Amino acid sequence: MPDAVKAPVIKAVGVKRYYKQRGGSLLSFGRKPRMIQAVDGVDFELYEGEIFGVIGESGCGKSTLGRLLIRLEEPSEGDIYFRGESSKALMKKDPKKFHRMVQAVFQNPFDTFTPNDTIGEIMMRPLRLHGIGKSDEERRAMCEKALEDGGLKPAADFLGRFPHELSGGQLQRISILRSMLLEPLFLVADEPVSMLDVSVRAEIIHMLQDLCASRRTAIMLISHDIAVVRYVSQRVAVMYLGRIVEMGDTDTIIQNPMHPYTQALISNCSSIDPDEDKQAIEIQGEPPSPINPGPGCYFANRCFKACEKCFKSYPPMRTMKDGRVVSCHFATGDE
Amino acid sequence: MEKIKKVGVRLAGMVRSSMQLRMGLIFFALVLLVVIFAPSLAPFDPYDLGDDLLVPPGTNGHWLGTTNMGQDVLSMIIYGSRASLAIGIVSALISGVIGTLLGAFAGFYGGKVDKVVSEIINIFLMIPTFFLILIIVALFGSSMINVMLVIGLTSWPSNARMMRVQAMSIKERTFVKSAISMGETKRQVLFKYIIPNGLFPIIANTTMGVAKAILTEASLSFLGLGDPNVISWGQMIYEGKQYLATGWWMSTFAGLFIMLIVMIFYMIGDGLNFALNPKMKKI
Amino acid sequence: MKILEIQDLCVTYIAGEKRIKAVDHVSFAIDEGDSLGIVGESGSGKSTMAMAMLRLLDPRYTEITGAANYRGENLLTVDPRRLSELRWKDIAVVFQKSMNSLSPVHRIGEQFEDIYRVHEPKASKKEIRERVEKLFAMVNLAPRVYNLYPHELSGGMLQRTSIALSLLFHPKILIMDEATTALDVVTQGQILSEIKKLEKSIAVTRMMITHDLSVVATSCQKIIVLYAGQLMEFGYVRDVLANPRHPYTEGLVRSFPSLHGKKEELLSIPGSLPDLSNPPQGCIFAPRCPYATDQCRAHRPEPRHIDDLHVAACWRVKGGIQDA
Repeated sequence: MPDAVKAPVIKAVGVKRYYKQRGGSLLSFGRKPRMIQAVDGVDFELYEGEIFGVIGESGCGKSTLGRLLIRLEEPSEGDIYFRGESSKALMKKDPKKFHRMVQAVFQNPFDTFTPNDTIGEIMMRPLRLHGIGKSDEERRAMCEKALEDGGLKPAADFLGRFPHELSGGQLQRISILRSMLLEPLFLVADEPVSMLDVSVRAEIIHMLQDLCASRRTAIMLISHDIAVVRYVSQRVAVMYLGRIVEMGDTDTIIQNPMHPYTQALISNCSSIDPDEDKQAIEIQGEPPSPINPGPGCYFANRCFKACEKCFKSYPPMRTMKDGRVVSCHFATGDE
Repeated sequence: MEKIKKVGVRLAGMVRSSMQLRMGLIFFALVLLVVIFAPSLAPFDPYDLGDDLLVPPGTNGHWLGTTNMGQDVLSMIIYGSRASLAIGIVSALISGVIGTLLGAFAGFYGGKVDKVVSEIINIFLMIPTFFLILIIVALFGSSMINVMLVIGLTSWPSNARMMRVQAMSIKERTFVKSAISMGETKRQVLFKYIIPNGLFPIIANTTMGVAKAILTEASLSFLGLGDPNVISWGQMIYEGKQYLATGWWMSTFAGLFIMLIVMIFYMIGDGLNFALNPKMKKI
Repeated sequence: MKILEIQDLCVTYIAGEKRIKAVDHVSFAIDEGDSLGIVGESGSGKSTMAMAMLRLLDPRYTEITGAANYRGENLLTVDPRRLSELRWKDIAVVFQKSMNSLSPVHRIGEQFEDIYRVHEPKASKKEIRERVEKLFAMVNLAPRVYNLYPHELSGGMLQRTSIALSLLFHPKILIMDEATTALDVVTQGQILSEIKKLEKSIAVTRMMITHDLSVVATSCQKIIVLYAGQLMEFGYVRDVLANPRHPYTEGLVRSFPSLHGKKEELLSIPGSLPDLSNPPQGCIFAPRCPYATDQCRAHRPEPRHIDDLHVAACWRVKGGIQDA
């Protein structure tokens, strides 16, 4: 559990991201433009040396949240504070410093590197950019060491290769190693293993865990694979239509989910144990499109528990006895 | 070093994968040889006004005959290759550079920049280009430099349109996002990632642009708007057209060579298009 | 009753001078009413095998040997006209990107009608609609989908439509090639349970091709594990996953994180897939296998029976007893 006294590394306050819906017919002229609420008010904190999981279905805004954190996009409202410094202000003042603090690992390792450069050039470029190392020889040595430490041997051989000559697992490891060369405060890993073969996923997962433990980097792991998140992260947030519906200790939430959506999500996960007695909670349909989702709970129209109240007002975030926060009218904290 | 070797291997693979490209390059090499060694290849000085006026091919060592002024047609064609090729390549390069930069700019930055550039492209695509060239050459004179510039400055929109689409798709690729999150500035991203990775179709298109520019130059010359001080194939056709009945060889051979060079560049362009096609890379 | 029997199937891709063995001497049989999961990582040849069976590979670049007997007819040699009759009517396939094969400018219903008339030219509109709505109900789609365009449907609904489309002619065999891979957890769970329910009402033999062990674990009875084009293990899902006899299967199971129970350490299989144009001598898995011996590196193990059904291609399996 994070130390309550310690200041958070990252603090997101009311982060929202809207997209204007393009197009529309001529007849819609003059009407208010329809807004897609990709991320709709998210608050959370992340501590040093912590892996924080974000789960949810596609379209729930988890990847958009990741892009907001690394500033590939700007939040429409709200701000994210890194060690107390506003990212908005920092991006204006010194974007390089920001990018050194915040790094990312992406889903598709085959597309993470420009195809025309060798791994050596690809790894040395950010070092040069941030003025790390005095000469190219020194930088090369740093890259070699990083590769060796990451289990890619012989390192000199890897530095001379092109991305298309390597496997997905190797590329993803290089992607992580390159990010870590900048010694960031915070790393966003957006579905880092979903495109890899099962047999090499564990390598990547272990690598993230090791880096988090040895360098105290805070990591946000975005994934649709709840089992992976369970293995890696200490805390987890469940997102639905741009909002966090439940957040807290990973084991607590997965063993005893309180929000109906989390319950449905977890019960629908298939496991490789054929004997497991599974009672999947059926929820109707798929997430509606996040365009003006109305005043009530966003999940109400698919929820098996929904009552009148759910359609009228959005449930507030309540802190439960075990420390988690849930946003559901049925979670009252007495449970 | 290793990189150069690997790029070489890839280029060799590309050349091997397309028969057209191979043939085009071989012919192009021959043309280049002619251009370089024109003084030693040409049997006569093309500017020299000889005594044999308008003699048919094969007379007195004039393999392709002479003009009404007594110039040797073969020597003119050999020297004319310099002008035609220079005009073709320079104007295609101008058009390639402008098109790449503007297109990449528009596609990468999007928003207002894109709107403005796209409108400019649309305007250029709407106006009859050849007519515009005619007016400009008529107004500013028809020196070779002017002709190159004017062809280059009017033919870039097709390159720009292509590059814009490339930039729009490449900027969504992971390596661009990754570069931005590494802290590279927009300009660095544009020149290091967007343009090099989107350039291949532009290269193919520009090669074909050479052929088009040569044709445009020929048309200009044919209308009497070429540079009168330079021997070019277009100029030869223009001068020979009054003698078509009495001395067909004056224009015909120049015309044939224009056809040939246009074909060579189309072959290279088409071959490049095929060899650079991502679907081909695997085999 | 065996409905499909694959015998010694080999598929070789030919790319210039390179010959890549994508499927290498695979044999197995499916009984009627079975559900079989074919599991493998990328490059294991699992999709190639299905494509080869239906002769969907370009014969200019592939070489196929062996046999695929469907009810006494060898699919690999049968007359092309007969083959096109068998496809869809007897053997239907749903691909991961099946939804992309729907035409964007025609209503779903029109497309169903067109396809139905390929095999049943005289069918009336009403008859087709009744049949299709019955299918829609089976895959949990509302009847109104009939009048919608593909772009109006979500990914899950489109994939349901593709499944309904594949069931149009009561196929005997349904092949699902990564059909639920691109879908969300909840949607995937829903579709898998719908498929299981549906099998109770119509008799269909199902082959699930996937990289996801959990999909097979929840929806199939039998499992085939492929690696580098070769059959590693075959048996009942509960036997193979609970007690894997092949080191590769064992590695796969141990690298799969589970959602419940104790957090055991995740292990990966070191190394990567061998170059299939130049495979190693001996067992194809030996370079990555923790138990590999000189025997493994020198000779390729044939699939050996552990019991009537359970088969593993490993030297460690010796006539029903495994070496300690």
